[in-house]
Amino acid sequence: MSNVAKSEFTVANAYRYDRRSATRWLISHVMRYRWFFFATLFLYIATYSAYTASEALIGQAIGAVVEPESLALLPTIALSVLGLKVLDAVLSLIGVLSIEFIAQRMEVDAREELYANLLSKSQTFHNQQRVGDIMARATEDVQQLNGMINPGVAITLETIIGIAVPLVFIATLCLELLLVPALFVLIYIVTVVRYVRRLNPVVRRQREQFGRMNAGLEETISGIEVVKACAQEAFERRKFRMAASLFRSFFVRQGYLEARYLPVLFFGIALGMAFLHGMHLYRQNLLSLGDVVALMGIMGVLRWPAFASIFSISLIQAGIEGGRRIVDILNMETELDQNKGGYAQPIKGEITFEDVSFGYGRLHVLRNVSFTIRQGQTVAIVGQTGSGKSTLTQLINRTYDATHGRVLIDGVDVRDWDLDALRSQIGKIEQDVFLFSRSIAENIAFGAPEATQEQIERAARMAQAHEFIMGFKDGYRTVVGERGVTLSGGQRQRIALARAFLSDPRILILDDSTSAIDSATEDEIQKAIRQVQQGRTTILITHRLSQIRWADLILVLDGGELVACGTHEELLRRSPHYRRIFARYDVALPPLEIVAAD
Amino acid sequence: MGFLFDGLDAEAYDRTYDDRQLVRRIIGYFQPEAPRMLIVGFATLMDALARAVVPILISRGVDDIGRTQDDALIVAYGAIIAALGASAWLFNLIRRSLTAEAVGNVVLRLREDAFDAVMKRDLSFYDQFPSGKIVSRVTSDTQAFSDVVTLTIELIGQLLLVAVLLVYLFFVDAVLTLVVLIMVPLIVGVSLAFRKIARFTVQHSRRVRAEVSALVQETISGISVAKTFRQERAIYADFLKLNRRAFWINLRTGFVFSGIFPLLALIVAFAMAAVVYFGGLRVQLGALSIGDWYLFAQGVALIWFPLTSIASFWSQFQLGLAASERVFALIDSEPRVVQRDNRALPNLRGEIEFRNVSFGYSDRERVLENFSLHIRAGERVALVGHTGAGKSSIAKLIARFYEFQAGALTIDGVDIRALDLSAYRARLGVVPQTPFLFDGTVRENIRYGKPGASDAEVERAARQIGNGDWLKSLSDGLDTEVGERGGNLSMGQRQLVALARVMLQNPAIFILDEATASVDPLTEALIQEGLDALMRDRTSIIIAHRLNTVRHADRIIVLRKGQIIEQGTHDQLLARGGHYAELYNTYFRHQSLEYIEAARKADAAPAA
Repeated sequence: MSNVAKSEFTVANAYRYDRRSATRWLISHVMRYRWFFFATLFLYIATYSAYTASEALIGQAIGAVVEPESLALLPTIALSVLGLKVLDAVLSLIGVLSIEFIAQRMEVDAREELYANLLSKSQTFHNQQRVGDIMARATEDVQQLNGMINPGVAITLETIIGIAVPLVFIATLCLELLLVPALFVLIYIVTVVRYVRRLNPVVRRQREQFGRMNAGLEETISGIEVVKACAQEAFERRKFRMAASLFRSFFVRQGYLEARYLPVLFFGIALGMAFLHGMHLYRQNLLSLGDVVALMGIMGVLRWPAFASIFSISLIQAGIEGGRRIVDILNMETELDQNKGGYAQPIKGEITFEDVSFGYGRLHVLRNVSFTIRQGQTVAIVGQTGSGKSTLTQLINRTYDATHGRVLIDGVDVRDWDLDALRSQIGKIEQDVFLFSRSIAENIAFGAPEATQEQIERAARMAQAHEFIMGFKDGYRTVVGERGVTLSGGQRQRIALARAFLSDPRILILDDSTSAIDSATEDEIQKAIRQVQQGRTTILITHRLSQIRWADLILVLDGGELVACGTHEELLRRSPHYRRIFARYDVALPPLEIVAAD
Repeated sequence: MGFLFDGLDAEAYDRTYDDRQLVRRIIGYFQPEAPRMLIVGFATLMDALARAVVPILISRGVDDIGRTQDDALIVAYGAIIAALGASAWLFNLIRRSLTAEAVGNVVLRLREDAFDAVMKRDLSFYDQFPSGKIVSRVTSDTQAFSDVVTLTIELIGQLLLVAVLLVYLFFVDAVLTLVVLIMVPLIVGVSLAFRKIARFTVQHSRRVRAEVSALVQETISGISVAKTFRQERAIYADFLKLNRRAFWINLRTGFVFSGIFPLLALIVAFAMAAVVYFGGLRVQLGALSIGDWYLFAQGVALIWFPLTSIASFWSQFQLGLAASERVFALIDSEPRVVQRDNRALPNLRGEIEFRNVSFGYSDRERVLENFSLHIRAGERVALVGHTGAGKSSIAKLIARFYEFQAGALTIDGVDIRALDLSAYRARLGVVPQTPFLFDGTVRENIRYGKPGASDAEVERAARQIGNGDWLKSLSDGLDTEVGERGGNLSMGQRQLVALARVMLQNPAIFILDEATASVDPLTEALIQEGLDALMRDRTSIIIAHRLNTVRHADRIIVLRKGQIIEQGTHDQLLARGGHYAELYNTYFRHQSLEYIEAARKADAAPAA
């Protein structure tokens, strides 16, 4: 397959599924276990044959026993009924277990396939996807595949087989008898399709309204302090009553629709008509009494398959929808190419932006940005949220490509660099540092699994993390993350810094907009950052005055434009934007020099 | 589908109301629906009768067919069976429609009552229960209750059918009826056993699914780290192990669920064979007609399925009661903040006095003990102290979010318990530590403090904060959608909106719990400018986390364990070298530009 070449991770000997469309993909998953599927099919036919035959036999028995000499036959008949019924139960058990197996395999296989595929996708892909979205695919959508097979497909098979087999049996009694049941099946198909079509939107809207009612209430309660402080209880009450009444009307409407389920009506009428037809034929000596009783028994067989299908239609619909969403992800390509064999040298650390613009569609995130960072400088980027600070750093490691202009590292356009060489030398510490549910030591050595305990501790010391790590009962073996100790933002940041010491990137990008911390922690983080910036180009997205003051170069961004660039002293004199930051501190500012434009 | 599968993964809850109390209370809610419920009862009975009579009629028809030559009789049989089928459908339609209406109305009333009860509570209630729990009581528990009511009516209908059939069969042939009845305890017993096993396997499945979800979540959140360090293979191996384990656990659950109906069918098979055999014997003895024999065989097929629901009904019913109990407990609880008068203060000046106030969030622990503080009208007060010193408690008592246990709190000399709370709070501007925005536009959020305000007023309020420069950074200015909980805006922008909201309210008393989260320096400057505007000419109480705010306060109150230990201006307190100086070194020092400059010089000096 074409995307294998671009993949960053592959599983050896993985089963290949057909990903050309959702339906083909689903079918190829089922076909992986085709023998189980065919077994189910065969067993369902057998089980319905046994079931229908037992009903027919009971009818025949009742007819036969009228004759006194058949008394001797009674034990045989009863045993045959027992045999057929037991056969029915046993075969249907094996059949349903077999399809259950497919259903469970489907869930697990699909998740495995999706998981491996997600690992193989590039960073760019993951940066563009919302975590919640992918989560929904890997959990809910995948589970829906399970429900689609069993009971979804299982019931559909039952419906088809459970209607076809009895009709065949009725036909063997007398072909003419098919008239009523066949008519019923026709009307049934039409009414069920109509029913599902009308019910689905109401069910969906009811569910959505429930979600809205919940979300509205959740909002009111989360903001209760504001509600009370603004004395807006009456307004919130009106809002909730409206939401709850609307939910009630959808609830009642669904009740009305379900109440009017027409197939029940037609089945009732069909039962009467079939009886009439049977007795009519009996009169004409075309049927025996046993046949008439058998007919009524077989009509009873139709009841379950005909009504079960309501559940299966929506289950299969949901499964196909889920499958489509999964296949979309599987087939998504990463647009950045690896550029293997591109420029690959040790980075010195000079970064140049030449008239760089970037945007998605019509939205401009960065506009005509130009600057140069010299090798080994520490740069602070200052700007409001949404001014383009993060995007600017994402252009450096080619998370995105500039839409206009060039980004150069050591004088070479980043698009000419070998992607692997480029990224492996650029480290990035995100605002929200992610730690795996493993020990602190493993987290620090994540990029260098062969690092010794000494090396890990040295890195931790340099990152000012050693002391607080030793404060834990288990020291470096303390498990962190979701299943372990929760660390504060400052502590996580220092672990990430330790990680950076071990992997030693040439350019380090640090998003330091973490929540506020106390003065002592601040001092420690400052020390750690001063350590890490030695001998490498460091870019800080920061909220902290201290870091702005320590920087060699400050970039001020506003609305995607670089409005000022220079040292602290220069900017205080030149940039009204920058002066505003310091206006309320009790320090004298130098006079503003009006330069052409800010 | 069947009841057999319902409610298996429900948790157990403690109960304090007894069943009879609850049932009486539920019936009380159904009282206004009495006419509907009467018709529902009648329709249920008629539906069951019509459905029971169909097989009986068929059996009579089978008997008569041999005896009569009357064509009209045959036509009559067919027509009546069809008509009964149609009327069963009609009665079912009436029953279900009216049930939906009645249950819909009852649940609506229940939800409204629950919501009203929630709104009446003071903040101590919200501290006690996470918002998710409260929401689920108001919406999900009422829904669970409604499901159980619907199921109960459904089950009664099915059991009525079984009862009618069994009574009829008993009169036709008591002995053969006993043969049929032998399967009843077996079916019910197996169903009960099934539920026990299913509960066990379902819980395991749920747990392993949660584990898989957690693992996938972790991988996806941390994928950039995994990729940067090329650890995909190790992560994949972890996943594979768990995913395969999940397969076996889920397969077990799937087998239990899929296997139960074939298993029950096995029991029915023996019952059926027994009826065929003994029925045949009794036909030959002349004790039973052929039609009746047919009816017995049909009876076995008709009654076994409803029997499985009996097995699950009791636990279902208990779940419904437990859900309704949680709702009633919510409705019955009493708010602690109760006003004893309705005095309005039209010209609120904002003088606040605590006299020997004692207060604690729970009975066990006192946050404020014998606390006294006088805040003059128009004064700017900053509260500082470690976490738990009682800063927020003071602010929350002024807002009357909580009831205090002893002492007096007066506003302009009037007891706070005697105030018209709604009018008082309208003159109170509160900005909580994490400013809360409602889904909607910035404009709507600002207007929340004063619903009648015109667009011009809203705009003026917004422009009073930092010259209105902050609006430029919003994509659509005042019409920017803030998203759920203000998620589209940055923390700093949310604070600016909250300040503008208070600005529009033009309160006499301004209470700010300063955010601890850091904000980019440009936005921070705007917020500071906004605070300057807000604190002008009104009593301001700030729980301070910013050096700037502390510096500009008229008076800093230093708290420790609910006591005032120092007060004065920043310079006075710093010079004293007491607790404030220690707090300064812990929280504020690094925000001081002088300190940063000094550290920079010190660092540069040896290098030079």
